[in-house]
Amino acid sequence: MESGALIEDYAQSLNDLTFNSRVIIDNLTTIAKENANQADGIINVISKRIRSATPEQRLFALYLLDSICKNVGSPYNVLLEDSLPGLFSAVFQSNDDATRTKLVSVLQTWKTAKAKGTTSPLFSKICLNKIDNYLKKTGFQSSTPVSVSSIQNKLPGNQNKMVDEIDKLILVLDIKLQENPDIKTKERRSALFNLKALLLSGSVQPAEFPRIQATLNEMSSQISNNSTPQPISIVDGIFSNLIESGLVKVDRDPIPGSTPVYTLQFPKIKYIPPSKDISTSSTLQDILNANLHTSLHTTEYEKVKFEGLVTVSKQIANGGLQGFINTNKPTGVEINLLYEAKPSKCSICGKRFTTDGEGSNRKRLHLDWHFRINKKVATNASNVQSRNWYLDDYDWVKFRDDALLEFSTTSDSNGNGNGSGNNDVKDLIDFVTNNQYVVVPSTSSNMNNRCNICRETVKAIYKDDIGEWVWPGCIKVPGEGKNSRKIVHVSCFNETNKKRSADTSLHSRPKRERV
Amino acid sequence: MSIPGFGGGIEPIENTSGEWTTVEVTGFSEWRVEVPHRTILKFKVIDGIGEIFGTELPLNVELQVSGVKYAVYAPLSSGFKLEYKTLANKSVMTNEDEEISDYISNETQAHQAYINLHLGLQTIRQEIRDYNILNPQDVKKGPRVLIIGNPNSGKTSLAKILSSYANKMDSTPVLVNLNPRDGVFSLPGSISATPISDSLDIESANGWGFTTTSGSLIHNPKQPIVKNYGFSSINENLDLYKYQISKLGVTVLSRLEEDITIRNSGIIIDTPSLTIKDITIIENIVSDFEVNIIVVMGNERLLNDLKKKFKHKLDSQLQVIKVPISGGIAEVDDSFIRRSQEETIKEYFNGNYKTRLSPFKTDIDAKDLTIFKGVLSSDIASTLSFLPSADSYAADESDDKDDKDKTDDSLTKYYSLLTEPSSSNLDNSIMAITQLPQTSNPGKDLLNTSILGYVHISKYEDDKHKMKILLPFPGAFPKNVLISTNIGFNE
Repeated sequence: MESGALIEDYAQSLNDLTFNSRVIIDNLTTIAKENANQADGIINVISKRIRSATPEQRLFALYLLDSICKNVGSPYNVLLEDSLPGLFSAVFQSNDDATRTKLVSVLQTWKTAKAKGTTSPLFSKICLNKIDNYLKKTGFQSSTPVSVSSIQNKLPGNQNKMVDEIDKLILVLDIKLQENPDIKTKERRSALFNLKALLLSGSVQPAEFPRIQATLNEMSSQISNNSTPQPISIVDGIFSNLIESGLVKVDRDPIPGSTPVYTLQFPKIKYIPPSKDISTSSTLQDILNANLHTSLHTTEYEKVKFEGLVTVSKQIANGGLQGFINTNKPTGVEINLLYEAKPSKCSICGKRFTTDGEGSNRKRLHLDWHFRINKKVATNASNVQSRNWYLDDYDWVKFRDDALLEFSTTSDSNGNGNGSGNNDVKDLIDFVTNNQYVVVPSTSSNMNNRCNICRETVKAIYKDDIGEWVWPGCIKVPGEGKNSRKIVHVSCFNETNKKRSADTSLHSRPKRERV
Repeated sequence: MSIPGFGGGIEPIENTSGEWTTVEVTGFSEWRVEVPHRTILKFKVIDGIGEIFGTELPLNVELQVSGVKYAVYAPLSSGFKLEYKTLANKSVMTNEDEEISDYISNETQAHQAYINLHLGLQTIRQEIRDYNILNPQDVKKGPRVLIIGNPNSGKTSLAKILSSYANKMDSTPVLVNLNPRDGVFSLPGSISATPISDSLDIESANGWGFTTTSGSLIHNPKQPIVKNYGFSSINENLDLYKYQISKLGVTVLSRLEEDITIRNSGIIIDTPSLTIKDITIIENIVSDFEVNIIVVMGNERLLNDLKKKFKHKLDSQLQVIKVPISGGIAEVDDSFIRRSQEETIKEYFNGNYKTRLSPFKTDIDAKDLTIFKGVLSSDIASTLSFLPSADSYAADESDDKDDKDKTDDSLTKYYSLLTEPSSSNLDNSIMAITQLPQTSNPGKDLLNTSILGYVHISKYEDDKHKMKILLPFPGAFPKNVLISTNIGFNE
């Protein structure tokens, strides 16, 4: 088919997509699949459709795109990459919350879907992040991991958070209204709206915050306890609290059954918020609000650190990183995260540890390690076994720095246990190493010898059980004659052997050892 | 007699000259000291807390440095007290002054900004860590920070401060050094990336510390990945430099993918001094390491130029921020740099006063060795003078081409085979051993490989084709492809 005609036909068929029709979508997907060379044109007409159709029908066109991308994959998903966030927002903006929820669930499937026939994701992270960011800006909540149900505001006085919560409450009321239109609920909804406007205008005094906050908290926790929330009673609660606080004034005739009139009371003194930009809330804040930090940060130091950084995070949210760098005077709490928050300082190297159980344990291992190293240096023991070349890219990527530290459980080939469970293996290695020896040839008059690799002097000792003079911990250089004096340490031999095998085959991955 | 295990292993250096001098530094001030290479400074903090570029000093422990320009900062209001004395470093003969110069300064606003920067970065790390725990299916990377500035603006000091502070707060950022002049956890002529999993060793050459090549020491060793460049200055072969940066970037980002601790901690990149003229290099680094924060050292103009250049990225992907330059910047001249390079090389083979290493001298047959050498761009330019030498995209184009037809030609811009090794081109030079097994035609693999280690060639015997070499430790000479560097060294 000629290209122009195909696109025109396609556009025509699109016009029929006025309801969520499986048949039409499948059909159009198949056409798209068969005409992948026309991908540009097809995407174009669908995009046009999304932007021009009635709000309701836009979703169906987006469903079509979704179907094409998932069933056909390349080139459609690649081509769409750039325009997808725009299209998504076009549908999102023009629709109500019910449709939005559907959109968000489509978005969720994109996050896990793989492009057809490959293992790479359907859309790039960058693209999906853009959409996520867009959703965040709109304040639409159901896609974020911290859901309404888990919100428990711990922080009094945060205006911004309260606005968010009011938004969520309004949402709950909206659902309620759809199920059961009721004058009272409507009124409360509009009262909440007004309260939000009030908060946003900055005319509420900070002194009022705790009370509003407490009310909101109560509601949130009620929601989280209730799988089927009962907004009426919750809203009643918050509402009566609002009335108590004096922010909402009730005028009611003293006759039973009369309708009360609610009016908002504006405080007389206008409160000016400290910063203009209060729209951003950071992840740390979310975590704090969601009460997740106690489970994420288990040790005392982690908790102190988290609390210190939350205040930094708030400042950065207000003034940006540059502003924070320019103006912040580090507080004692912040500075101490580097020093006194870990009060136990190693007297040898200055490294700091916490004083709780874990910290004391780490410090003990650390001091043991100092002791071992000092002993080694003092006895001038050869350091040869532990030295190594740099790693190649593959090994380096797989390497974990824990293996370098004194807390690691890797074995120490010198046989100095560090409390780990592999002492048995180590003892065995020690045993084998120490029980290797070379009998001093009878022709030899010189009892001293040298390791052929590390050049260290080896002195002969007398071995009672065999009645011979031997060079301990050594073996003969392989291939040398019976009376040869050429010897090497077992450990040196093993070490070089390992290197040789690494050289002969690039793909053999010798185990890296440390001491 | 000293009991094994209770210190005493460090040979006491004869206390030749004089008395201890006491220095008292009040809170948030710093003691700035310049020690020439021919002088040894011994010092110990006797009260309070002092730190050098983010590394906290132990109390009442004698430390010893030589050839450094350090500032001992008092991070807490209580300040610190320190004692020092100087002795002559007899192993070094230079004509520099042997006096140290030192003073106390309370102009440390820059340091406050660095602490703030660290706090900001640490907050991002915290956010990323917590986010990654909550969203294991959609993990993010910690901050990737690129430090840019003029010569002598304190880039490396800031890199040290940021990585040391991060380590103190339980993060392990990867410190990337892109300045081939320095040799960080490696030798000059290389670029490297090293996770900072423990404190730095301020007593070692340039104040970094030892690696697994030196084994287990007074400080825990670090484990770097090292890429060869072979020259001290990035302009000797920009194409090779950029190529190695991109290769290092791939490896570092792969590590971030695999290693959760490092992914949460991010990357800190130190650079040679780059200006807006080097924008293609900066752009390369930004994309190769997925940089999301550029820190400009005090240069307002560079800040604005960079903001313009990266305008398209500024909203979502990239921040460009500025920090002030420390008032304590000590200028380093060429001879000081050369001296420091020599110290770094010496330390790689011989260790330092605390950690004596025993390198291994041996003779090897040079006949069957494959030795390559980095090409000087200026040499190529003269033979291909019709090409626009400043065409910065040349590297990228040829990359594409080379991937398609893998020929030996692909190397010409970067390395050439040293066809006639001789005493004139190898004596007293540093040679890099690659991870590649010996082959005469390694092709692109030579560009993609990393460094296994270094040897020093003290003498090439032209008649016998034998080399006297120094290996960092005893063992067989690895039969791998070699790259002769432009870094010279006399034992």
